[in-house]
Amino acid sequence: MHGHKTFDSSALPRALTERPRILVQPLESMAAVAETRLVTITINDVELQVPKGELIVESVKRLGLEIPIFCYHARMKPVGMCRMCLVEVGFKQPDGSVRKMPKPQAGCTLPADNNMVIYTDTEMVHRDRKGVLEFLLVNHPLDCPICDRGGECPLQNNTIFYGPSTTRFTELKRHLPKAYPLSQYVTLDLERCIQCGRCVRFTEEISGDAQLAFRFRGSNMQPSTFQLLDFDSKFSGNVIEICPVGALTSAKYRFRARPWDLETSPFNCLECSNHCSVWFDHRAGKFVRMNGRTNEAVNEEWTCDKGKFGQDWINDSNRSVKVMVRKGDAFAESTWSEAYDQIIAAFSGGHCAALIGGKQSNESLFLLGKLFRDGFKSNHLDSRWTRHLTDDALKLAPDTIASLEHKKTILILGTSLADELPMVFLRARKAWFKNGTQVLNVTAKANEADAFATQSLRYDEDHEADVVAGIRLALEGAADDAFALVARRAQVSAADFRAIAKELGPDTAIITSRSIFNVGDAGDVLDGLQAIARKTGCTFNCYAVNGNDAGAEALGLIGGQGSLNTREILEACVNYRVKALWLFDCNPFDLYPDHHLVNDALESVAFLVVQGSNSSSLTPYASVVLPSAAPAEQDGSYVNMEGRLQRGKGMLQAPGDAKPSWRIFSELLLRTAGGTPYFNPSEILQAIGQEVPSFAGVGDGELLKSAVAGGVTA
Amino acid sequence: MAELKLLFEHAGNPAYQTIEGYIAKGGYQALDKALKMERQAIIDQIKASGLRGRGGAGFPTWIKWNGLPKEKTKRHHIVCNADEGEPGTFKDKQLMEETPFLLVEGMTLAGIACQGDAGYIYIRGEFIDAAKAMRKAIDEAYAAGFLGKNIRGSGIDFDLYIHLGAGSYECGEESALMSSIMGERGMPRLKFPHAPLPTIAGLWDEPTLINNVETFCCAPFIVNKGGEWYATMGASTKNSRGTKLFSVSGHVGKPGNYEIEFGTTLMELLEMSGGMTGGKLKACVPGGSSVPIMTAEMCDGAIIGYEEMMQAGSMVGSGGCMFLNDKTCIVQFIWRTAMFYAVESCGKCTPCREGTKWMLQILERIVKGNGQPGDKELLLDITSQIDGRSFCGLGDAAAWPVAGAIKVFPEEFDYYIANGKSIVGSPLPMVPA
Repeated sequence: MHGHKTFDSSALPRALTERPRILVQPLESMAAVAETRLVTITINDVELQVPKGELIVESVKRLGLEIPIFCYHARMKPVGMCRMCLVEVGFKQPDGSVRKMPKPQAGCTLPADNNMVIYTDTEMVHRDRKGVLEFLLVNHPLDCPICDRGGECPLQNNTIFYGPSTTRFTELKRHLPKAYPLSQYVTLDLERCIQCGRCVRFTEEISGDAQLAFRFRGSNMQPSTFQLLDFDSKFSGNVIEICPVGALTSAKYRFRARPWDLETSPFNCLECSNHCSVWFDHRAGKFVRMNGRTNEAVNEEWTCDKGKFGQDWINDSNRSVKVMVRKGDAFAESTWSEAYDQIIAAFSGGHCAALIGGKQSNESLFLLGKLFRDGFKSNHLDSRWTRHLTDDALKLAPDTIASLEHKKTILILGTSLADELPMVFLRARKAWFKNGTQVLNVTAKANEADAFATQSLRYDEDHEADVVAGIRLALEGAADDAFALVARRAQVSAADFRAIAKELGPDTAIITSRSIFNVGDAGDVLDGLQAIARKTGCTFNCYAVNGNDAGAEALGLIGGQGSLNTREILEACVNYRVKALWLFDCNPFDLYPDHHLVNDALESVAFLVVQGSNSSSLTPYASVVLPSAAPAEQDGSYVNMEGRLQRGKGMLQAPGDAKPSWRIFSELLLRTAGGTPYFNPSEILQAIGQEVPSFAGVGDGELLKSAVAGGVTA
Repeated sequence: MAELKLLFEHAGNPAYQTIEGYIAKGGYQALDKALKMERQAIIDQIKASGLRGRGGAGFPTWIKWNGLPKEKTKRHHIVCNADEGEPGTFKDKQLMEETPFLLVEGMTLAGIACQGDAGYIYIRGEFIDAAKAMRKAIDEAYAAGFLGKNIRGSGIDFDLYIHLGAGSYECGEESALMSSIMGERGMPRLKFPHAPLPTIAGLWDEPTLINNVETFCCAPFIVNKGGEWYATMGASTKNSRGTKLFSVSGHVGKPGNYEIEFGTTLMELLEMSGGMTGGKLKACVPGGSSVPIMTAEMCDGAIIGYEEMMQAGSMVGSGGCMFLNDKTCIVQFIWRTAMFYAVESCGKCTPCREGTKWMLQILERIVKGNGQPGDKELLLDITSQIDGRSFCGLGDAAAWPVAGAIKVFPEEFDYYIANGKSIVGSPLPMVPA
C-alpha cells in the first residue's frame, strides 16, 4: 500500500488482508483506553479502527500480532523503560503519503490516534529489538540452566525469537549479590535484574505499600527496599510472578523444580473466602507452588502472600493418614468399617451434632447435612464460629468484588481488609487509584487502607456499636450533646462522625466482615449498619471471611429455627444433651472465642469424631479420627464471599487412608439411610441444584441466586 | 565580528546585582511596559524577535509561550531550567551570579504573558553562589513590589521559588526536571506524542512553560526594545537572531564566557578568547560535550548559527565551546566524555543504561592499550543502537560525541587500537575514580 520494502503482507492471515477495515471488540485487559471514540490506524498496511488512546502494544493484538515487551504490564501505567517494543511510526498525510517519524517509538506508551501508521515488521524494528536484547544481555548472567525462571522466562523467549545469536561483549560483567533475601518469601538476584521496574511499579500502583524503589542510577540502578529494610508487604509474592527474568524468586520454590517438570492445574485458593483463581503447580504428587490465574471477577491476576505461601500444609508430615479408633484407654489404628460401625452406634438416635469449619467443598457439606438429617435424624449443624450469630448469609453481600471498582465511596468498618479479604482490599485500592473512589477507613487500629483512605477514623477497640450509633446520630442531624455518650465511649468526636456520615450516599458501599460479629454488641452493629444503609440508600456488605463459610451458609448448615447453633451445641455437650459430636475440619480452640466452654464440651461429650486433613490437638479428646483429603485432592465446588460458585478439580492423591469427605458421608449415608449412594461430586452438585433453590442452574463462576449482586440492599 | 554585549553589558558590576543598580541601568522598564500590554502582544514580540531556546535544542521560544492555554482552567507554572550541567558550559552560572535580575524580570514577563501563577528556578545543586545571588535578587524584588501579590499595582500575582537540584545531570532534561521538582526520582517522563506537551500537562499535570536561563534573560530586552530590534542582530544568518553566550574553554588564552552576535565565525570566537595556546587548533567541540566534535578544517569558516553549525557538521548546542590543541589525544578525550555519560545515565531505559557503560568499558580498554581490531566498528554500532532508541535525549547525547569522533578522527582510533598508545604521545591522564 505504501510501498514499504520489507513488509510482507502474505505473512498476515488471509482474512485480514481481504477485509481492510475491521472493527474488533475491545480487549478485556486493555490498559489505557482514554475514550470510546474510534480512530483509524494502520498496522503493517492493514487498516483498522481502535478506541482513541489505546496503546499500540494492545492494538496490534487485534491483528493477532505481538510486540515483544518486558516493562509493559497491562494492569499498570506504561513507562517505556525497556525499549523492547520499539516500532516504526508514521502519519498519513492528506495526499495519502506517509510521513515517518525519524526515531522509532515505544509501542507500549504510544496512544492510538487518527492517521497513525505503525510498522512492526521492518528491518529497522528487527535491528532495534536485537539491539535492545544485546544490551539487556551484556550484564545478564547466562545462568539459565540453574535459574528458576529458565523455561518460562520472557527474556529467554524474546531472545530466542528476536535476539542476537551471539554476544559481542568481551568486558567484565556486572557483579552483584546473587541471593539477597528481600523478605522471608522473596529472594533477589540482582545480577539477573533487567531494571524494568515492574516490581517497583507493582508496589506503587497495585498493592500500594510502595515498599520497593530503585537505588543508584545508570548501570548501577537496582530495585531495593528503602534502607534495605524487610520487604514488608501482604502481596509481595506477585512481584515474583511479574518479574520478566529470574531476579525475584520465591524463597520457598527456589531451586525446587524446573518449570517443564511441573504439572499445573487450575485451582481456587481457599485460604480466605475470596477464592482467588490460581495455578496449582505440583511435581511427583507433591504441591510445589501457586501462581495467580486471570479471573477478572475475583483476583484479576493477583494473589496474596497468605494464600500463595500458605499451602505448605498439604505436604505436611502432620497430615492425618490413618483411621484411629479409641478402644478402652488405648487409641489404635483401625479400619473404615470399624469406625463407621462405632459412629453409627453413637450417632443414631438424634442426640448428636456437628460443628463445621474450614475449606470443605459444597458437595461434602451438602452430604454431611443429608447424613445428619436423613441418617442420624438430627438437625444440629453449625458452621459459624463468631460470638454473635446471624443467618443472613449471602444477603449480606450485595456487592461483588468487581462492582466495588465503580463506587463513589467505600466505607470500611472494623476490618483490616488486607488481612481478611485481600482481593477486596486490592479492588478498593484500584477503585481509588483508577476511578478516584474515596475510601473511608473506620477501624480500631491503623492498617494498610490508611495509605489511600480519604479519611481514617480510629476508635477505642470493641466499640464498633458506638461508632455505628455515632454515624447514625450524625445522619439524623443530632445536636452535639446527643453524641456525648458514644463519643466518650468510642473516643471519637461528633465532628468526626459527621465527616464520615456526610460522605454516605446511594453510590456508597459499606464493607465489613463476619469477624465484626465477635465484637461486643455485634447485634447492634449489624442493626445499625442496616439502618444506615436504608437511610442513605447505600449497600451494606458483611462478607464471609474463611474458606467455604459462604457455601456452608448457603447450604443451610447453620443453627437456628429449631436447631442448635454453635454455642448451644457446645453447651448441650456440657450438659449431656448432645451425646455425640462431629468436628468436621475445624478446631474449636482456634475458632471459638470461649475456650473454657470448648474444653468443657469436648471433655463432656460421650463420643467425638474428629475429621480433618491434618492431625490436631483434638486427638486426645477424640473417640474416632477420620483422615480426609485436602481440597487439592478432591473435586468440588466452593462459594466465595460474594456468592460466586467456582468448581475445582482434584489433582493430587490423598495420602494414606485419607478419603474425600463427600465419599465418607456418602458411605455412611448408604449404611444409615440406604438408597442410591452418590458416586462423584458432579452428581452431588446436580443434587444440590435440585434441592437448594439458590444453587439451581448456577454454572461455574456464576453467582448463586440468593447472592443478589447489586440487587437487594439490607 | 567582535563581542556584542547585551545580556552581559553590566555583568561584573556589583551595583547591577542590587535592585537599585538594576533599575538605574534600565532594568524593569520591560516589566512596566508589559503590564500595559495585551498578553498576546508580549508573545508577538517574542515571535518577532526570532528568539530560540538557548538550552541546546534551539526550539522557537514563542511557540512554547503561545502553547499555554489562553483560557485558564488550572494553575500555570513558569519553570526556569538552571540545571546547567553540560560539560563545557558555564554561562547560566555567570548570568545568575552577575545579572540575577534579568532572570527574575524575564520570568516575571513570562508569568504575565502566560498567566503564570508561580515560577520555579531549578538550579543545579553545585551552584551555591548562583542560588545565593538569586535568593538575594528575589528577596529584593519582592520587597520592591516586583514579585508577589499585585505586582506594581497591576493586580497581577506572580511568585518565584528556587529549587536546588541534587547533583544529577539528567535533571537538566525538562521532563526529569519536572519529576525532580515534584519530589520524584529524577527520571524523564513520557513526552509527546506519548503524553501531552508540558505546556498542556507539565508540573502536577498543569500547563507549564520551561525555558533556559539565557532564554528568559533575553525577554526583558525584547519586550523593552521590541522584537524587531532584537531580530536585527544575527540577521546575516538563516534563522538565528540575537546574541548567544559561549563558554569558551580548552587550550585558549582567555577562557571564559563571551557574548557574540549570531553570524560571528567560530574562528573569531577563538580569537576573542585569546587564541590557541600550547599548539595549533586540532579540534573543537562547539556546543557542549554532547555535540559532534569538529576538526580544524571544519572549524575554518564555520559560522555560528543554528542552521549554519549544522551545515558545518556540529551544533550550537548550549554554547559550551571547547578548543583543543594538537597535543590532545582525541581517544582519551572521548573516553573522558563517555565516562561522564555513563556516570550520569539515570538508568531508566536499556540503551542508555547498558550502552553508555559498555562504550565506556571498550574505550577504557582501548586507552589502557588493550584495544582489539573491530573495537571501532563495535563502538559505532553501539552508538547507532543508542541514538534515537533511548527514552530521552541523554542517550543521543552520549552517542553523538563517540560516533562523531570516530567519524572525523578515525586514524586516531586505529592508531591507538593497533599500537596501544596515543597517536600524539599523550600519557594516560588521571581521572577521578
